Amino acid sequence: MIAIEYFIGLSAILFVIGAVGVLTKKNAIVVLMCIEMMLNAANINFVTFSAFSGNLNGMVFALVSIAIAAAEVAVGLAIVLNLYKTRDTIGLDEINLLRW
Amino acid sequence: MYWSELAWLIPIFPLVSFVLVGFLGNKLFKKIENGGYFAILMAAISCFISLMVAYEILSGGYPEGVFKQSMTWMTVPGFTFNMGIYIDTLTALMLIVVSFVATLVVIYSIGYMHEEGVKKRRYYAVISLFIGVMLGLVLASNYLQMFIFWELVGLCSYLLIGFWNTKPSAASAAKKAFLVTRIGDIMFMLGLFIFFVGFQGNLDFDYIFNNVSAFSGGNDLLTLGTFFIFGGAIGKSAQFPLHDWLPDAMEGPTTVSALIHAATMVKAGVYLVARSYPVMVHTPDTMLIVAIIGGFTALFTATMALNNPNIKRVLAYSTISQLGYMFLALGTGGYLLSLDVSNAGYTAGMFHLMNHAFFKALLFLSAGAVIHAVHTEDMRLMGGLGKKLKITSTVMLFGCLSIAGFPFLSGFFSKDDILAVVYEAGEHNPLFYLLYIMALVTAFLTAFYMFRLWFMTFRGEPRDHHAYDHAHEAPKVMTGPLVILGFLALFSGLIAIFMGFMNIMVPTLVGPIEFEYVAPVDTLIETFTHWLTYLSIAAGLGGIFVAYMYYDRKAWNPDVYVATPARRKIYDILLARYGFTAAYDWIGLKVVYGVAKVVDWIDRKIVDGIVNGFAKVTVKLGNFLRKGQTGFVQSYAALVIAGVSIIVILLFLFGGVI
Repeated sequence: MIAIEYFIGLSAILFVIGAVGVLTKKNAIVVLMCIEMMLNAANINFVTFSAFSGNLNGMVFALVSIAIAAAEVAVGLAIVLNLYKTRDTIGLDEINLLRW
Repeated sequence: MYWSELAWLIPIFPLVSFVLVGFLGNKLFKKIENGGYFAILMAAISCFISLMVAYEILSGGYPEGVFKQSMTWMTVPGFTFNMGIYIDTLTALMLIVVSFVATLVVIYSIGYMHEEGVKKRRYYAVISLFIGVMLGLVLASNYLQMFIFWELVGLCSYLLIGFWNTKPSAASAAKKAFLVTRIGDIMFMLGLFIFFVGFQGNLDFDYIFNNVSAFSGGNDLLTLGTFFIFGGAIGKSAQFPLHDWLPDAMEGPTTVSALIHAATMVKAGVYLVARSYPVMVHTPDTMLIVAIIGGFTALFTATMALNNPNIKRVLAYSTISQLGYMFLALGTGGYLLSLDVSNAGYTAGMFHLMNHAFFKALLFLSAGAVIHAVHTEDMRLMGGLGKKLKITSTVMLFGCLSIAGFPFLSGFFSKDDILAVVYEAGEHNPLFYLLYIMALVTAFLTAFYMFRLWFMTFRGEPRDHHAYDHAHEAPKVMTGPLVILGFLALFSGLIAIFMGFMNIMVPTLVGPIEFEYVAPVDTLIETFTHWLTYLSIAAGLGGIFVAYMYYDRKAWNPDVYVATPARRKIYDILLARYGFTAAYDWIGLKVVYGVAKVVDWIDRKIVDGIVNGFAKVTVKLGNFLRKGQTGFVQSYAALVIAGVSIIVILLFLFGGVI
């Protein structure tokens, strides 16, 4: 059986890649994709712990998380679309309406 | 039914006149002298009641001697303030003086103020208020009530002195009168606080006079209390060092001066001391101060009248000087009483107050008639007016003789009494011999400057022919009051003596001293068999003689006194009132204004500075922090991630979690 450290390591790597993407990418769609990646890193953890502890709770959490991520993407994409319609851009460095 | 029961009506009538003339005068009294006749009517009614009440009390018609009436005004937990009427012989005397003189002054005003137009309404309204509050002050049954009227009297004097308020000198004189007397009022208030605490919150005359021994706080505090009460009198009666407002107050109409000097404002101070007598005689130190201040003021202000060219100013100085006499008498008498020596100081002081009211009203109103005739107050532009103003010059001569202490005239008796009391007190405290000499010199100076005034005005050749040609005798409405007052100036002393003034007007409630009955004729005999009397007659006649030689016969030349620069300097110092006016201005400008500036600076820079500083720091900090709000969602996320990472690392290092 593959040791748990590998799963956690993979999850950590995915999470950091996602986080760096969220912080650095200018394109809103890429940022959304990176968020997906971070969520999936979390899902890997859930499933791993579930499998290693013999308890189904983690699996259920992963399912819920996937469902919520789908909904979130729908909302997120709608916002991005509207942004594009009103401001003609989806570059996050150009969207600073709340700035001082 | 006693008249005294109607006494509460006395101040009401003039106050009704104030309200009606003051607020509805334009509608109701437009045709009839703008309310002048109505003011006379109201003053006359209250004068009539006053005279009846006074007669009742003075003749013993009221069985208990002192009429008291009071009702609860307001109740504060622990204390009850009353409002009421307290009439004893002193009140009765003041009622006569105030209401009678005031009524004559208002009648006279019809003539004197005739040309003032619509401003007359304000004049008659305020003068009614003045009379009303003065009568209220006299009738008050406790110190608090008295203090309220006391302040109102000050207000009225302010309004009347500044009657011609478009004239800067009148406006500033009014302010000066108000502010300087206010210093005295503050002292009065301090005295009341001490009394209020010491007498367990009861300020009723009736209680205080009967329970002086119940004063808690010891004799020193009582002395301080009475001293502060006297402080109020210093301010109102223009005694040294607060005397300087009274000569300036001459900026008001002459009738107002007559009212202030003869009946109301300045007499309130003397009345206050006389009223507080039952308390004050327990504090010899205060009484001594009263006597010293009185004696000193008498001489000090008499010297300033010696060379003043303004007819009203001379009379003003003379008033301060005569008030000094009254305080000297009251102080000396009280001092002797505190040593358990029966004496006539109180009687003499009140006697002089009454006589002075009549002859000073006469003098001022005569001066008013002169000013009415020649339209100037400068005596150097008068002269020879006796030929044209026959009535005025005659009655004014009576007034001058009376104040100069000419034998058998009213001023003579009271002044002689005062001198006798002061001399008598010398046995107990040699200081009084000095005061006696000062008072005697004052008598000489008084006679001199009064006759200088009379000779310069009415005798000799006219110095300003233009003014002389236009001069005419005043109308009857003015000369009528003058003649009545002239009669009183001549005979009020004799009348009072024969009506037993000496026996009626003794201080009540001052302890175990018995005042023996003196028959009127005995008073006269005693007066004229004592060598002291001849000394005071000599002083008075001497003054008249010197004035005669200088200003009527011109046998001596007064100009030699200003011939050399050194002598000229003395002359100028007297004219400049010993620099008191300048000193007040200097204190006001440099000291008070300087202190105010420093306080202002501290307020602006330090107090406001601290508050403003806090605000500035907050704004700066906010501006600095504002820069952190970039509006980029990624930088906020970065902050969150950085924060979480730091927490995780810290937990890892120190938390022992993993």
